[in-house]
Amino acid sequence: MIAAALSTVTLTVLLVGLGLALVQARRWRAGRSAKVGVWAGLAALPARYLVDVHEVVGRTPFNARFHALTAGGFLASLALSVALALPPLRHPLLWGLLALTLAVMLAGGMMVGYRRRVLRPAELSGGRFSRLPLALTGFSAAFLLVALDQSAGGILPVWLVLTLVAVGGWGLAELVFGVWNGPLKHAVHGALHLAFHPRPARFHDGAGRDTGLRPLDLAQADAPLGAGQAVDFAWNRLLGFDACVQCGRCESACPAYAAGLPLNPKKLVQDLVLSLDDGSDDRAYAGHGHPGRPVGAAVTGPTRPLVGADALIHPDTLWACTTCRACVQECPMMIEHVDAVVDLRRFQTLERGATPVKAAGVLEELRATDTPSGRALDRRLDWAVDLRLPVLAAGETCDTLLWLGDGAFDLRNQRSLRALVLLLRRAGVEFAVLGAAELDCGDVARRLGDEATFQDLARRNIQTLEARRFRRIVTADPHAFHCLRNEYPALGGRWTVQHHSAVLLELLTSGALTVTRPLDGPVAYHDPCYLGRYNGEIDAPRAVLDAIGAQRREMERSGLRSRCCGGGGGAPLTDVVGERRIPDMRMDDARATGAPTLAVGCPTCTLMLEGVVEPRPQVAELAELVLTATEPTP
Amino acid sequence: MTARRRDPRAERAARVVPTGGPRLRLALTASDSAAPASGRPRRDPRARRADATVQTAPRLRLDWSGKALAAPATTSAAAVSPAVAGRGVRAVAEPVLRVIDAPACLVFAVLDRADGALSALDRQVMAAARLLADALDGAVVALAPDGPEDWGPEDWGALGADRVLPMPAAWAQEHAPEARAAAVGAAMARWSPVHVVFPESQDGGDVARRVAAVVGERLFAGVESLSAQCVARRAGGGSRELSCAPPRLLSIAADAVAPLGPLRHEARPLDPVAVACAPRLGAARRLPVDPDGVGLGEADFILSAGNGVTDWAAFADLGRALGATRAGSRVVCDAGHLPRDRQVGASGMVVSARSYLAFGIAGAPQHLQGIGGVGHVIAINTDLHAAMIKRADLAIIADAQAVMPALIRLMRERTHG
Amino acid sequence: MVDVAVLLSVGRHPVSGRARRAPTDARALELALSLPPGRRTALHAGSPDSPALRDYLGMGLAELTVLAMAEGRDPTDALLARLRALSPAPSILLTGNRAEGGEDSGMLPYSLAHALGWAIVPDVVALTLNDDGSAELVQALARGQRRALRVAMPFVVTIHPAAPAPRPSAFGPARRGRITVEAVDAPEDTALAACAVRPWRDRPKRLTVGAPGGGSGGALDRLRAATEAKAGQGRLLVGPTPDEAARAIYDCLQEQGMLPR
Repeated sequence: MIAAALSTVTLTVLLVGLGLALVQARRWRAGRSAKVGVWAGLAALPARYLVDVHEVVGRTPFNARFHALTAGGFLASLALSVALALPPLRHPLLWGLLALTLAVMLAGGMMVGYRRRVLRPAELSGGRFSRLPLALTGFSAAFLLVALDQSAGGILPVWLVLTLVAVGGWGLAELVFGVWNGPLKHAVHGALHLAFHPRPARFHDGAGRDTGLRPLDLAQADAPLGAGQAVDFAWNRLLGFDACVQCGRCESACPAYAAGLPLNPKKLVQDLVLSLDDGSDDRAYAGHGHPGRPVGAAVTGPTRPLVGADALIHPDTLWACTTCRACVQECPMMIEHVDAVVDLRRFQTLERGATPVKAAGVLEELRATDTPSGRALDRRLDWAVDLRLPVLAAGETCDTLLWLGDGAFDLRNQRSLRALVLLLRRAGVEFAVLGAAELDCGDVARRLGDEATFQDLARRNIQTLEARRFRRIVTADPHAFHCLRNEYPALGGRWTVQHHSAVLLELLTSGALTVTRPLDGPVAYHDPCYLGRYNGEIDAPRAVLDAIGAQRREMERSGLRSRCCGGGGGAPLTDVVGERRIPDMRMDDARATGAPTLAVGCPTCTLMLEGVVEPRPQVAELAELVLTATEPTP
Repeated sequence: MTARRRDPRAERAARVVPTGGPRLRLALTASDSAAPASGRPRRDPRARRADATVQTAPRLRLDWSGKALAAPATTSAAAVSPAVAGRGVRAVAEPVLRVIDAPACLVFAVLDRADGALSALDRQVMAAARLLADALDGAVVALAPDGPEDWGPEDWGALGADRVLPMPAAWAQEHAPEARAAAVGAAMARWSPVHVVFPESQDGGDVARRVAAVVGERLFAGVESLSAQCVARRAGGGSRELSCAPPRLLSIAADAVAPLGPLRHEARPLDPVAVACAPRLGAARRLPVDPDGVGLGEADFILSAGNGVTDWAAFADLGRALGATRAGSRVVCDAGHLPRDRQVGASGMVVSARSYLAFGIAGAPQHLQGIGGVGHVIAINTDLHAAMIKRADLAIIADAQAVMPALIRLMRERTHG
Repeated sequence: MVDVAVLLSVGRHPVSGRARRAPTDARALELALSLPPGRRTALHAGSPDSPALRDYLGMGLAELTVLAMAEGRDPTDALLARLRALSPAPSILLTGNRAEGGEDSGMLPYSLAHALGWAIVPDVVALTLNDDGSAELVQALARGQRRALRVAMPFVVTIHPAAPAPRPSAFGPARRGRITVEAVDAPEDTALAACAVRPWRDRPKRLTVGAPGGGSGGALDRLRAATEAKAGQGRLLVGPTPDEAARAIYDCLQEQGMLPR
């Protein structure tokens, strides 16, 4: 009878939970259609959980452990409880197994309790989440007692056992109904999201990294231009938002949040989740909000405008993002925050014309002159008249095509470009530039949501590049590097693209450049987001520094978990005000290393970090350091 | 003084034998004295050289700037010249009085005389009218508002006016473009000038276009270069130059024509013309302008702060005392001491104020890019080697916090005392 | 509720020479869009194929009527006829104070105003409607000064570059907006055709040396005038007392005429 009661309670709760999950699924299925490999995704699911999700969760080993204990114990105990519905299986051995799994789960639940009650990380959400440890331990402890009692042959009085079953049932209901709209939502939605992820290539069974934005279909006049309301997102992306467990890892990683800008990526995703409820508001959200923004002011709805002064997402929140992908890098549920931000921006820019003033001016200059600063294209080489750079005309061939980027118009970055050119000459690399034929790569336009201008620039750049022959493209600008390497292929441009750090390393190791004056001093290295997180290139710049004899020091937050300089995604143009400036915070990280020199590999980082008020470490571009270290001795 | 000059073009034209055939035939025997004037003014290099001669002993000195020119040598008018007789010394005394009694035509110079003062542009308009009139043996008529007494008399003769046409008192009003246009139109009907020259100032340009619309003629607006044969203006968004022979109506852009040197004309008053005008624009008044409300791009006088400023109350007081528009460097705006739209520099606003008073600004390249178009820079900084100090017209090595209160004090003394 | 007509021309970017919305015309449209909703008629005279026309539609304009004519034609009569044909007649005609890319003389609004018999106010930055059929206008003057004036409808206003910046042009509305083309017969602009045209090249800055009241006009003055625009004239006071420094600044500013007298 006890077994029947237990399995009935379990089954009932599970069935009700399934029903609620289907109700929940109707919400995200209201989104746009998406091409998804359902079976391949489902087949890849377990491995993605064990490899990709584990890699993220395992960055905090304690969390990985309690997840393994709790989830493993829970799933196994559920299976065993259901099995008890079959009378032939009601064997003390099964009860013993059940007791074991429940004990495992209890251990995990207690670890969850320890984390939530004792450690209390600030980024965790409260509200329904506070009851989670109680539900976990309540369910596992009550059923554990029942299982132990039954495996021992039933010592306890029946009324007590039934009461325990009822208590366990409450805990189970709390957990399973939580799948509908509570803490355990992430278990089911997270799994489905892994299976139907909009970027399957980012997992280990794909390319392992997939960071290029997807092009909009502009040829079709009625195709949507970004997302203005919740249902403008594809269903599997709405599902992805629903997978958010509010763990707050994105919040801890977000440079904008840290600087007090009105953006919390966790709240942003919750805004998108809440917007699927009609006529509600965000008062139930129990985590940190967007700094300086009130909660509960806006009404939600799947077809209400998402962004606006009195909508759920304030424009300042949207435009504070630097698209640095730190949130994506940290998200254990593999949510693509930056894609969401860019889709929201696309709608604001392409449909509303609501780009912030200065950014809108830059876009207008881009359309009119093909440079964000409104400069004449034929002046891109003005800084290098004395260098007599060979210009590759249509139909000509060269080994290395040097993509100069917008840094060629900036006094500061002309210095590092000059160093790079001298190094290529010194190493005997046969290179050429495009000269006036090079247009802006479109990075800023795309991050600001102006897909039309990006595609126009990209198409014309691809046409220019296709008319010339070269072995590889080399650029000192990680933003151009990312565009050319990861985003142009979708529009038909495929070449070998290298960041200059990789090329410099190649030249140093091959002996084409010899170190004559080793740097011999501490140097901190700042990873540009578009080189590190976007392209995974964190080793080459470090190897270059090592090769020229620098005593490399790592800053807090480096490599793939580097903190943004504040210059990406058009953030310097949208210029949302916070409590601090992002580059100032990053410079504090550099100061803490005690190194007098901060090496960078990106023109935007150079400008942002050099804009920090002195005293501060000197900012030096990789090429500049290599140039000094390889000066030929007389 | 000069040899009799031959005009080869006119001589050749006089020799042409009309045959009606395709070939040109010239009569070699025709007398060159029969050559009529071609109508094109010709330069006489000898005369110009003589006019440019400042001194002959001990060394010959020439001044081609036109300052030494008492009067164009080609004038047909009767000139009384007491000072030109001996050219041994530079003629700096009273310039020659030129009287044009029977002008071949009239050239109108329509002047703004805003707030009672002749602007530099008004003087340039006079110079342009003079140039056009001299080429045609004409006389310049100055059309200027005759304001209330406190405007003070204007020495029209010294400005190069042969005639002065007093304009109705309505011109003295703050803003009366319709009345001005009607008056110019009436004067044009009465005197039929060959050219009417306007200043391409805001109000002068407005009047010019109203006149052009009323008389139904084309205005050649914003002349950038002017000679007796050709006027040119910028068009096509600044990409093209349009040029033609001087038309009847033209307006002169600022600093396109050199003002005249010292000269004296008759400034004979003409009879006023009766004008009827029912203005439709009314209630014109100047609005009080908050200097900090003026866009940086428009501002004329900017008080700017950099990282060396810590006393923001004094900075605000100084802005008020000077009536200057406040601005700051990027660091200052980043720190929130000033709003972002007050940022000067490559990433902020590029300004073109006449005067830029910079406290505690070191002068990052981006900032210097932003003040490329500034006329006059005063920099106060503690660092002698700052880039801003090199850029400044007046550089003071001092602490901003000490100088700002002293300057506020001085301003208060001077305004109240 | 007021019916307005806006004249929009195609501008020309000063660096690239590419067609764009003319800055002051875009501001005129911005002002028109911010007026209380009434009938808005947007007119362009010229080629209907210019991509810049879509930039105006991208600001939220639903329809733009193009009076199609070749370059070098005088659009005055065609525009006049079209404006007269509008029913009900608009009360306000808005346009930029200067086109960029054509003759750029700023004459067209004056010719239209005169032919229509309407008042015209140039260089306007703000417009508020009164209940009695008149409007309060604010005119931008040099050096950030402003002048207010009142005018009865109907009237023509031209917009100054200091007017509020136009909203950005968005791709979606630009794509959806409608361009109606009307072929018109426009006479050739003979006065313009009579002008010689050549590319503009900057002339050396005219130096006003030795102007009345100025320097002697000698070689030294010319050299100074030619160079001081770039580098400072370099007066330097090192470590003066605050009062000395203040006096130096005061004298300098007074010399520049920046201080209220």
